[in-house]
Amino acid sequence: MHDLLIAPFELGFMQRALVISLIVGALGGIVGTYVVLRRIAFFADTLTHTVFPGVAIAFVLDGSLYVGALVAGLVSAVLFGLMSRRDALDDDAFMAIMLTTFFGFGVMVVSRITTYTNDLVVLLFGRVLTVSRDDIVVTSALGAIAVLMVAFAHKELTLRAFDPEGSMAQGYRPLLLDLWLNIAVTLVVVASLKAVGTVLVIALLVTPAATARLVTGSIRTMMAAAAAVGMAAGVVGLLISYHASVNHGIRLAAGPTIVSVLTLSFLVALGGVTVRRRLRRPAALVAA
Amino acid sequence: MPLPVMSSPVMPSPALVFDDVTVAFDSSIAVEGVSAVVQPGDSVALIGPNGAGKSTLLRATLGLVPLARGSITVLGTDPVTARRHVAYVPQADQLDREFPVTVIDVVRMGRYRSVGWGRRLRRSDKILAADALERVGLSDRAHDRFGTLSGGQRQRVLLARAICQQARLLLLDEPFNGVDSTTQEALLAVLSELRNDGVAIVMPTHDLAVAHLACGDACLLNRRQVAFGPIEDVLDLDALRDTYSGQQLVGPGDQVIIAAGHHDSNVHHHDH
Repeated sequence: MHDLLIAPFELGFMQRALVISLIVGALGGIVGTYVVLRRIAFFADTLTHTVFPGVAIAFVLDGSLYVGALVAGLVSAVLFGLMSRRDALDDDAFMAIMLTTFFGFGVMVVSRITTYTNDLVVLLFGRVLTVSRDDIVVTSALGAIAVLMVAFAHKELTLRAFDPEGSMAQGYRPLLLDLWLNIAVTLVVVASLKAVGTVLVIALLVTPAATARLVTGSIRTMMAAAAAVGMAAGVVGLLISYHASVNHGIRLAAGPTIVSVLTLSFLVALGGVTVRRRLRRPAALVAA
Repeated sequence: MPLPVMSSPVMPSPALVFDDVTVAFDSSIAVEGVSAVVQPGDSVALIGPNGAGKSTLLRATLGLVPLARGSITVLGTDPVTARRHVAYVPQADQLDREFPVTVIDVVRMGRYRSVGWGRRLRRSDKILAADALERVGLSDRAHDRFGTLSGGQRQRVLLARAICQQARLLLLDEPFNGVDSTTQEALLAVLSELRNDGVAIVMPTHDLAVAHLACGDACLLNRRQVAFGPIEDVLDLDALRDTYSGQQLVGPGDQVIIAAGHHDSNVHHHDH
């Protein structure tokens, strides 16, 4: 048991990986709850690609990846907030245009570096095993801001997600609320950059919250369950990745392994709910 | 323009004044030339076919759509400033039944604006919400998930949310749409109490029978104002024919009124 669960985390890099996975897992669960309730998973997905040119430029200029990602992310959060007001264009069409434009530009920038394929993979998928103490500090700080933002506007964001018309009728400005949440999501994406990369962060924002949504009946429990799922998947993913590499000679990258664990937990929850619904009387379905 | 009968000897300032209200989207007119005065304690039915501009008029009253012409005065001020004292009740069917909120959570949303950003609900807010839920007769369902209630019950929960907002003007969007008779009676009783407390009510509705029960005045709309005044004066066949050309609607006492364009209207009695 000790060898299985404790020994791996006696190594320094595994300790840092554990800490950052727990932070990012909790963050994804908490902020992801609003993403799922507000049904903006595709925006979160878009965002993970639109931060890429910022990361790429920072890479080329040898600047901070976090600053580059933050600038690009905030620009796309504001652009999306503004453009989604326009009735003529569907949100998803606009997001697809934004995603491809930003991402394409990022690839153009990165391809100017000779070793770009290797760097690109790091940027997209992160390297949880190589995070530093500084990364943990930056992730914690950005994550804390994101959590404070959603906590501050919890009532207002909930009302906006549940009853958009009623929210407007009460005098809340939808653009302000949407921007507020978009920016919080951007902070989580940027905070998770080093650990899971720009692509896989979407799994942390959506999968734990979607899993929790299946099995809980209130926002509070949904958020707690989502954070728990996100953190647990981090630990389990790291352990699987470690043992596969060290004991079985199979190289499993930690980030994608964490995502696989998340997907598995979602599927188990989905299966469980489906079975439970089959077993119950139809009238009781809605209570699930 | 006929003024509604005053229930109070002291002349209060009107809850709502429409003066030649006209709303246009791009170049097409959504609703035109609406003029009406709603006093505290009055209840006005907005009657007209789909697309007649009923919802547009509600949205304009909330300050959510700009006016092309005319003005709206809500509680003596402009619609945006007055929002704190105006409650909007959407149709229960428009809300996601899977959303993870309890019944009392939904009612408490009526207090959010008064509580403010970054703060939790005070004890007094929770008491107001519990009292409002009691008034619509659903206290026993407080901790059930909102989506598990019937359509009529969810409509009552949304009315409770509006009550605990302590608004002076209540805008209800088709509140009797598809509700059972228990809910209809519960809603009518609560609306009548609210009117006695001086709350003004405006509700678009298709159901003329319910309009008669719930409202003292009616505003007939078909993109333009056809008539406004005491409901028994306004709901005559000529006006209805103007309002609903070629559509069928259910009138008071189970009459089916068929208004057919230029032809004379026929009134049939019909039995269920």
